[in-house]
Amino acid sequence: MADAGVWFEQVSKRFHRGEVHDSLRDLVPALARRIMGRKRSAEELQEGDFWAVRNVSFQVMPGETLGIIGGNGAGKSTVLKMLTQILRPTLGWAKVEGRIGALIEVSAGFHPDLTGRENVFLQGSIRGMPSAMLRQQFDSIVEFSGISDFIDTPVKRYSSGMNARLGFAIAAHLNPEVLIIDEVLAVGDFGFQSKAFNRIQELATSGIPVVIVSHQMDRIATLCSCAILLEQGAVAYMGKPADAIARYTSGFNQTRTEDHKGPIRIDSIRPHSDLPVESGTDLTLTITGSVLGTECDADRHSVLFQVRSSQTGTVPFASSTARLGVPLPADGEFRLELRLQMNLTPGVYALETGVYDERTSAIIARGPTASVQVGAGASFAGQVQLNPRILLAVPALP
Amino acid sequence: MIEAEGGAVAAPRIAPAPPVVPRKSLIGDLRVILRDLWQTRDLLIQLTRRDLTIRYKQAVMGLAWAILTPLLIVLSGLLIRMAMAKFAGAKVGMASMAGIAVKSLPWSFFVSSISFATPSLSGNMNLVTKIYFPREVLTISAVLANSKDFLVGLVVVSAALPFMGVHYGAAVLWAPFLMVILLGITTASGLFLACANLFFRDIKYIVQLLLTFGIFFTPVFFETTLLGARGARLAMLNPLAPVLEGLRLSVVEGHNLLRPLIGTAPHGGPDILMWSPWYLVYSLGWATLGLALSLVFFRRLSYLFAEYI
Repeated sequence: MADAGVWFEQVSKRFHRGEVHDSLRDLVPALARRIMGRKRSAEELQEGDFWAVRNVSFQVMPGETLGIIGGNGAGKSTVLKMLTQILRPTLGWAKVEGRIGALIEVSAGFHPDLTGRENVFLQGSIRGMPSAMLRQQFDSIVEFSGISDFIDTPVKRYSSGMNARLGFAIAAHLNPEVLIIDEVLAVGDFGFQSKAFNRIQELATSGIPVVIVSHQMDRIATLCSCAILLEQGAVAYMGKPADAIARYTSGFNQTRTEDHKGPIRIDSIRPHSDLPVESGTDLTLTITGSVLGTECDADRHSVLFQVRSSQTGTVPFASSTARLGVPLPADGEFRLELRLQMNLTPGVYALETGVYDERTSAIIARGPTASVQVGAGASFAGQVQLNPRILLAVPALP
Repeated sequence: MIEAEGGAVAAPRIAPAPPVVPRKSLIGDLRVILRDLWQTRDLLIQLTRRDLTIRYKQAVMGLAWAILTPLLIVLSGLLIRMAMAKFAGAKVGMASMAGIAVKSLPWSFFVSSISFATPSLSGNMNLVTKIYFPREVLTISAVLANSKDFLVGLVVVSAALPFMGVHYGAAVLWAPFLMVILLGITTASGLFLACANLFFRDIKYIVQLLLTFGIFFTPVFFETTLLGARGARLAMLNPLAPVLEGLRLSVVEGHNLLRPLIGTAPHGGPDILMWSPWYLVYSLGWATLGLALSLVFFRRLSYLFAEYI
């Protein structure tokens, strides 16, 4: 168990776009081309080839949880397939020590004509569970899935939700040494999702190495100790989950004005602490930048700052120096100390900056972004933190 | 690799483990494969059971399937034999009928196993591209699933043979040994063809063609003596021929396979070598070597399966 771990060293994977020859008739010309043509090196891309994954390296040790985020086609699934040995890297090497439990495509092994019960045993053994253990865990699996009434019905008559529930229930009982999770969090109804998420959290915090791919940023933020942002197969960012998420989500909704030589340049935005902020408490930030006096119209241009939810992409709060009545210097550098009361629901938020034109109500340039995680105990539920103060007044003190 | 922008914190890294050097020796590979197969024996059982359950679910014929193919082979064999006998002015004895009945079982096992095993990888695309497990089990379970039909047929034929004038002797004990060789040859061909069919989808049509006409190149309907001295030796080059002829000789004729058997030609001519113990070695060699090579071949290509399927 102590030896369990995941290693990815300079891994690249090349794929071919388009049709692969798959009948004997195509073999002869393909072979001829191969013999006549020059020997192709591993590094080389031929016509139609592309790198699905390029030079990705990481390690996950026991107790660590790595999150992988990125858009569709960024190479996330290819990375997972190389981890689970379904694909072999073109370059570099991937190695996993320990029995892998993969919560990937949880209902992939189901045969439609078999009953739920038969499929539990089939699917369990495909994923490497010994029969004896399956028999022992069977009741627990069925109970977790919540479809015990239909366990002797052929799976072809199941709804897709039931399919996913049963699949997840089996995968959740694998007792792995290394856990690999892909997008399965989005299965079933709300009740089952939270049940599934609790189970994943339980597994992820049990001290085994975990790799998780998801589009649900709040889950990446809560579960992971480290995150990778993949863009077109390459690592665009590796580090704190909150930063990776901020970088990923700020990639959207951007009317990028590249290297804008605007009236104001914003250099940095930095929270005073890296720790998560408790909902309802204060967050202090420093924004630095400089004003280009020749371009800047003090009545018109101001520094904008806004909070964007990484889960939903919405902006619950935005303001600017002009609206707060803070004048900027006519020329030269400035430093702003900003304090925000984070009356937000728990989650990851991006703190975005920009240059705002008060006359046209347009963001004319984007500045740097910071990210912050808002946490809350169990003190409230709902859309917004109303900072409750509560006192027991009756019975009156004697 | 690690960008410092935005105050990225790199988790403490431990020195990377050395890359695994893939073992390339035949014996080393084989040992790994056999260990993997032993560890996944539960899966093999489950997949075999799946294939069996699906085959008999919603099937009117049920176990009658097990008898149907051998029965048809025996009937068509009799028809051919009677035509030949009429031409030669001889009679078709009970012994030749018993011989065809005995040989029809392993032949139909071979045919149905190969036609199930060939598409066993390409037909399980969702498993191959999504979950990792030793892929050999898909093909081996496709072969094993056919053993039920074989066993049912075996019971029926064993019960019927005494009525065809067969007295079971000690030589019957050769039958299990021959069946193991049959299983080996079948599995080896299945592994090779399943692999080939994954990369080239037209393989299965070629296989179907070969299986249809293969019966004429294998001594199922006839004994090798019918081909003359030279022909009998040539016919035995087919790896399945010693298995089929061995079964007939040991079960029907009660011949001990460790001793050679010389037959007389039907219309004079030189004596014909019907059986030699070397035939047994020849077939066994095909089974073991074929199995070893096909397992290693299969394993070495298996990392490409998910990409090419």
